[in-house]
Amino acid sequence: MIVSWKWIQDYVSPTASMEEVVDKLTMSGLNHESTELVMGDSAIDLEVTSNRSDCLGHLGVAREISVLFDLPLSIPDPQPESIDVDVSTLLRVEIQCPDLCPRYTARVLRGVKVGPSPAWLQEKLATLGLNSVNNIVDATNYVMMECGQPLHAFDLAKVSGGRIQVREAKPEEEFFAIDHKTYALGSGMCVIADADKAVALGGVMGGSESEVSEATVDLLIEAAEFTSQAIRQTARKLKLHSDASYRFERPLDSHGVDWASRRCCELILKLAGGELLDGVIDVGAPPTTPGPVEIRFAQIPRVLGIDVPVDETCRILQALGCKEVSRDVTSLKLIPPTWRADLTREIDLIEEVARVYGYDQIPEDVAVPMIASHYSSRDRTLAIVRQVMTSLGFDEAMTPSLVPESWEDRFTPWSDAGSLKSQQPMEGVLDRGSQTAGPVRCLRRSLLPSLIEARRINEFRGNESIELFEIAKVYLPRKDQLPEEPLLLSVVSETDYVTVKGVVETLFQQLHVSQRAKILPSQRGLLDSTRQAQWMLGETVLGWIGELSEAAMSENSLRRPCAVMEINLEALFAHVQLVPQQQVLSSFPYVDRDFNFIVEESVTWAELKGTVVESSGDVLEHVQFREVFRNPERDGASKKRVLLSVRLRAGHETLTGEQADKICQKIIETSKREHQAELLG
Amino acid sequence: MSLQDFCHQLNQLAEEASSAFRNATELEELEAARIEFLGAKNGRLKSVQKLMGTVPKEEKPQAGQTLNQVKNSIQDGFEEAKTRLVSDGSESGVDPTFDATLPGLGRRLGRLHPISQTINELTDIMGRLGFSLAVGPEIEDEHHNFNSLNIPNDHPARDTLENFYLVPESERTKQLLLRSQTSTVQVRVMDATPPPIRIISLGRVYRPDTADATHYPMFHQMEGLMVDEAVTMADLKSTLRMFATSYLGDEVSIRFRPSFFPFTEPSVEVDFYWNGQWMEFGGAGMVDPNVLRSVGYDPEQVTGFAFGLGVERLCMRRYGILDIRDLFTNDVRFLRQF
Repeated sequence: MIVSWKWIQDYVSPTASMEEVVDKLTMSGLNHESTELVMGDSAIDLEVTSNRSDCLGHLGVAREISVLFDLPLSIPDPQPESIDVDVSTLLRVEIQCPDLCPRYTARVLRGVKVGPSPAWLQEKLATLGLNSVNNIVDATNYVMMECGQPLHAFDLAKVSGGRIQVREAKPEEEFFAIDHKTYALGSGMCVIADADKAVALGGVMGGSESEVSEATVDLLIEAAEFTSQAIRQTARKLKLHSDASYRFERPLDSHGVDWASRRCCELILKLAGGELLDGVIDVGAPPTTPGPVEIRFAQIPRVLGIDVPVDETCRILQALGCKEVSRDVTSLKLIPPTWRADLTREIDLIEEVARVYGYDQIPEDVAVPMIASHYSSRDRTLAIVRQVMTSLGFDEAMTPSLVPESWEDRFTPWSDAGSLKSQQPMEGVLDRGSQTAGPVRCLRRSLLPSLIEARRINEFRGNESIELFEIAKVYLPRKDQLPEEPLLLSVVSETDYVTVKGVVETLFQQLHVSQRAKILPSQRGLLDSTRQAQWMLGETVLGWIGELSEAAMSENSLRRPCAVMEINLEALFAHVQLVPQQQVLSSFPYVDRDFNFIVEESVTWAELKGTVVESSGDVLEHVQFREVFRNPERDGASKKRVLLSVRLRAGHETLTGEQADKICQKIIETSKREHQAELLG
Repeated sequence: MSLQDFCHQLNQLAEEASSAFRNATELEELEAARIEFLGAKNGRLKSVQKLMGTVPKEEKPQAGQTLNQVKNSIQDGFEEAKTRLVSDGSESGVDPTFDATLPGLGRRLGRLHPISQTINELTDIMGRLGFSLAVGPEIEDEHHNFNSLNIPNDHPARDTLENFYLVPESERTKQLLLRSQTSTVQVRVMDATPPPIRIISLGRVYRPDTADATHYPMFHQMEGLMVDEAVTMADLKSTLRMFATSYLGDEVSIRFRPSFFPFTEPSVEVDFYWNGQWMEFGGAGMVDPNVLRSVGYDPEQVTGFAFGLGVERLCMRRYGILDIRDLFTNDVRFLRQF
């Protein structure tokens, strides 16, 4: 809202400087954006929050100043003289859509002389950045900028049949507005129509044909109320925003409608002559009066933490326009002013007292009671995960939760149900290289497509060692409840399967995961069919590790090798041990033994290790994989040599050579029995 | 062999050894000389020593004595030469092949995203002030995102163009949307927990702004909530001052400007006075009685305050980041700056 400093002084005479006034307005709710000098006046731009439509006119701002500086406020009382012809003899008004337009009032003026506005009016409008049109249109704008109620003047001769119908627009109804553009209207929009057609788009803009021109003699002055939501949607849909629609989008003062109409007619009579017909056509719901609101004085310190003197409380509320109904030592009952639809409850009145009395009166050094806070196990686990990931050389990425449709089904192991979609896409979030990926409106079911995109951008920019991880939610649809939102950890790396597997193993070590993971074969599209696996933790799926397939590499324009992993952290949380317990260590001598087994290719390390662990019993300290070696000439095709070592140590005694030999013998025999493993050498 | 011949050989050996040790210029050369003269198996001293058996019996004590003397003197000569060569090396102090300025063989550590770092810092400070972290879903129903926050059906904040509403599965399913604020978590916590409450909620929120240098359709919010029997705006102001002082590491002043949010009343914008200027912090206020009532609290029994701030803005100001989109492009050169 732009306010003219000169205009304000029509209603209130501040003794303080403009800077002081503006500063105080800012600190009491009308945030000062800027001030511009315009022809010896100052145009002050104030930000008006959506609850304060009363400040969308100069009167409202003047009232604020009068309250803040305890100054008298003078409000004009328009009483235009009328002739002895009743307005209803010339005009009939009917509201067919009370849900869009609950009330419509009209006055009629005859024999006006349209012409230029006087200098004082042109200057006032110019300060606000409004162009002068003619004395009639300027008068309607002047009153709107004075009290906030938009008005419209029609050329009565162009309103055919002397009838106004306020109705909902017909589908695809055409409307030619005063901005000389044609708009296609539709349902939910309110038009002001005569017997033939729409002459105005209610609350938004007048029509070109019924607009006041040099030839206009008789006028219809409209002052109406429109439903804010309807106006908002109409203005949005048509991308047609006006000073009127801006005001009608907020609740206005029903009681101010007639005041504005009278004020406007009075001004026109003064500027353009003519005569005003007697009375007003006022159809629809009559304005209602708000009920009384009680403010208990004890509630002020209870909410604000400070006392405000009772006299000051009463002064502030009454100066704002509240009418006292009753008062006793503990409370005050008031009827809030009709222009303050936001004041309906005690707390609303407390806020008024607070903002006028001054928030600077509230101390910033009271003793807030101390209480303990704590980090949940989940948060502590996540902190460790992040620490491990960065320690392993991964940089943390953050990518949008919505992805284009064309990426969405690239990797979907977590849910077979199609992705959730937002009605609107995210705009401007795709890299230049991915503009053709389509609208970004799918709630992702995997983080990998986003991370692969980040990898692509990095490669394109010539960056080295692109090792990225992200911790974020995915969104999995569920029948009749909110979607599931598991937290995933995903990785893209320039290394390979075993290196990324090592990442998971390190995480397990650092989180003291008690449960052993099981690795199962997997066939997921994005991944190379020979270089991937699914991980299980107990009965729960932990996730997938793999190297990108060649097709996926070329589809994403990746040049360097790419290994990925995605695990469900929710599956991990239950198995994490945040406070590990000490295990008693043996200090007895140990025995190290190496084994070089020849086995079929199909025998996995996990199987062989399992056998060694089972055969050795509790003296086994660890089994270590050394290497795999192949010698087809000696061992035959489809055979491999697996070199491993074990360390044996007893907890309470020295393990003798014979005991160790016995265990080794058992390892060899069991391995032979279960895996046809031949010991070499 | 006569004693005389034996002694002669010994002395000659001692002389040769002494000169070999003296002339050695490298440790390797000295070691070769040591092996030649003092070697345990085939050293020349060993060979001469073996001849002692041929010296007449009565002269043997004398021969032994000489042998020991010579042995000691050769040994001494060696030690002396060794000391000389070793100390020589360190005194000159130059190995032309050693370049102390070559890059160290460190391991590259990854970096946490600047938003994560900011979140960690915020969570940590609020934790010290007694606020525990609460989490909730990012996809919400209209009840939690609007109604329970005192945002009525016709409120502009509920406009379809102001929110990421989801495409409904069918006509009868509940309308869902990506949460537009983290206050939804506060409602869920209050729904489930009786007062007192002291929490922060932190996470991704969504509003359909087209991405540019200062906007992104997804961002992070931190909201704090404290509800108890006697919580006032003075507590709010004091808590925020302590927060700001912790975060900025300096004494900070707080200013409230009136504002309007549906879920708080009174509502204020909060500014910090720091480094000689006022900086916008975020919004705050006293929890609206309607919100307290909607979660089954009695506004006559408890009051509360709430505040919220945008994490990106704080993070960008802290690290001097000029374009919000850089935060989500994940160029590793960018990520490694923080």
